[in-house]
Amino acid sequence: MTELEAGRAQRLAPVRSGAALQRYRDVLIALIAFAVLACLPLLSGSKALLDFIIRCSAYGLFATSLNLLVGYTGLTSFGHGMFFGLGAYSFGLIMQRLGVPIPVAFVATLAITAVVAAVIGAICVRLKEIYFAFVTLAFQMLIHSMILSWASFTGGDQGLRGGIPRPVFLGIDLANHVHLYVASCALLILGLLAMRQIAQSPFGYTLRMVRDNAARASFLGIDVWRAKLTVFVLAALFASMGGMVMALFVSGAYPEFAYWTISGEGIFINMLGGVSTFLGPMVGTVLLLLLNDTVTRFTEYHGIVLGVVILFFALGLRKGLLDFVAEWFAHRRDAGEGR
Amino acid sequence: MTRTRKPGISRRSTLALMGAGAMSVAAPWVARAQAKTIKIGMPTILSGRVAQLGTSSRNAVMLEVDKVNAAGGLAGRQIEMVIRDSKGQPQEAARVARELVNTDGCEWLIDGEASSGSFAVHEVARDLGVLCVHTCSEASSLTADPKQHIPNAFRCVRQGIHDSIVGGSYAASIAKAKGLKKWATCSPDYAYGRDTTGEFTLYLKRFAPDVEVISESWPKLFQPDYTEVVTKILQAKPQALYSCLWGGDLTSYIDQANIYAMFSQMEVFAVNMADYTALTVVKNLPKGIHSGNRYIKTFPATPENAAWGDAYKAKYNEYPTNWSWQNATAVMFLSEAAKKANSTDGKKIAEVLKGLTIKCPFGADGTVTMRADDHTLVGYAIGWGTTIPQEPYVPEVKAGDWKAIFELEAEWKKSKGYT
Repeated sequence: MTELEAGRAQRLAPVRSGAALQRYRDVLIALIAFAVLACLPLLSGSKALLDFIIRCSAYGLFATSLNLLVGYTGLTSFGHGMFFGLGAYSFGLIMQRLGVPIPVAFVATLAITAVVAAVIGAICVRLKEIYFAFVTLAFQMLIHSMILSWASFTGGDQGLRGGIPRPVFLGIDLANHVHLYVASCALLILGLLAMRQIAQSPFGYTLRMVRDNAARASFLGIDVWRAKLTVFVLAALFASMGGMVMALFVSGAYPEFAYWTISGEGIFINMLGGVSTFLGPMVGTVLLLLLNDTVTRFTEYHGIVLGVVILFFALGLRKGLLDFVAEWFAHRRDAGEGR
Repeated sequence: MTRTRKPGISRRSTLALMGAGAMSVAAPWVARAQAKTIKIGMPTILSGRVAQLGTSSRNAVMLEVDKVNAAGGLAGRQIEMVIRDSKGQPQEAARVARELVNTDGCEWLIDGEASSGSFAVHEVARDLGVLCVHTCSEASSLTADPKQHIPNAFRCVRQGIHDSIVGGSYAASIAKAKGLKKWATCSPDYAYGRDTTGEFTLYLKRFAPDVEVISESWPKLFQPDYTEVVTKILQAKPQALYSCLWGGDLTSYIDQANIYAMFSQMEVFAVNMADYTALTVVKNLPKGIHSGNRYIKTFPATPENAAWGDAYKAKYNEYPTNWSWQNATAVMFLSEAAKKANSTDGKKIAEVLKGLTIKCPFGADGTVTMRADDHTLVGYAIGWGTTIPQEPYVPEVKAGDWKAIFELEAEWKKSKGYT
């Protein structure tokens, strides 16, 4: 080992152990979060609260996966909702028609999503910015139209009817509300943890580099197309997981799950919560659902209220809530250190 | 400044709490009076393109609920409606329905959702076992398909298949009389449009076998411009046209087709024309469009129906819609069932509802029935007539024959594998 190499190794060692430490810290936080969520039914008998968290799981997985594209890679997808719909439909159809155990349907759905996302991604990620956004939107509308037109298979505009069968597996009965709740929380936490690992891995940093300067990344020997395609497929998988949670919650799948408005909601959630922090979309999800649920209780003019909130975030804060909070803390810390 | 109030529960609030506790122990009738109200939840579409129909559903429900409450309520309990917007999204409809039952304590549901939303609420009813009456979804499969059947859900709505049978036989009689052999169709491109058109032509051809469909157009739902569709139909030169466009789509289509004088060149059969939401909006309503009855106060031509339509107009300053009479009928059914069961227990009500016949202003013979075997509404007034540009809009309606409807419906169910 030359002197130079030895010096480098010394510098790298603490970084590696730091990364490992952070990974353990993430796992620990995830475990605590799961434990708290799992204990909730013991503390509160409110079914509405459990419903709320199940929906947060579905939308949270979807919105955070969208942030892998928007926030980390700079790929603003307007069609990410197609994978949410694809997950819901694939899972629902497999359960209804094949009657396989739930884990098998879960894995099969992920496999289907991966294949579809790879094909669509291979075409889309070659494009940049607005072109990428519009081609993803076009694919989403294609999938939505297929769901509507292929009525004998998908049920058309009336969706998958007759309920999704939920046979018991490993003692877990997803027809039971509390079981479904705990399973949704587990999927959410596992999904978030996995996405966090992706974001913090060398691959995650490659994505940031691609976002900031794709030409430079390319000159450094990174296959930009492959990196973008990989993250496109990975994000699709998590969106699909969100779709499956939603399908289980409503015991069906409906064309609205694959409509552009779902993608729009994902973008809006990201705007609300912020894209520069990992948990921003999760905060955005909770905010949007809370806002939606409370406002619709009192008025059917919820559109006006949501519009005002969007304006507040777009013109007032100029960023998502968690981004704003993170910056505020950074300012305070800097001020405290006298910098 | 010194704090004078110590944190925690003050003496005053302790006393108040004790007082409240004592009151509820000593005066249980206070608590009973609370439980005397029965909450009925209703998810419906109050925003977006079909908000007008959702609002008309809410209006009709409130009109009837006020009557029931004034007459002493349901088995002595006053009704409190909790009505919320689902935005026409199935996942939101499911959420709202669950919230209404789980959080707001609603004991029954009136489901004012259309299409996919009604299936989503149906699954909630299956899951929670709560009594549910669908009041807006015309999709036949909701009750015809045995896979959908649950003991606690009923449908108080006209059905696509009934409309097609009556429409097909009416159109066939006109086709035979006027020699209309070449037909075109123009319907919205989604399941309702395709199914209804398919069933209509099936029965048209059955009653008039020499009819031929020479052109089909499938404009998108909520399409703003129909020029290409209108010109395509005019080029095909059919003798008659069938359409199941509805609401704003139908009115835009008629306004645009009027420019090409389409209605003087062929007989037009538009099943959804005779609804005030369409009749009063079209700029120049052509004379002689054949339409099924959605809701008009002149059919059935009874004083009860006219009085109901007028009472609605007097209260809300607009005419009721097709969704209105269906929702009103649902409340009438629930009220009658509660009277018969002398209870508001969902299971008992469901038992009574099966096969229940009630007096109703919208019945073909003054009564309507909740058919026992598939929990769906039958015996309602159904018929076809032709339009004129001013009130009463459809002066004469030829009523459909329920005996024939039942026969053909049974055949249709068999062909679909439902029985």
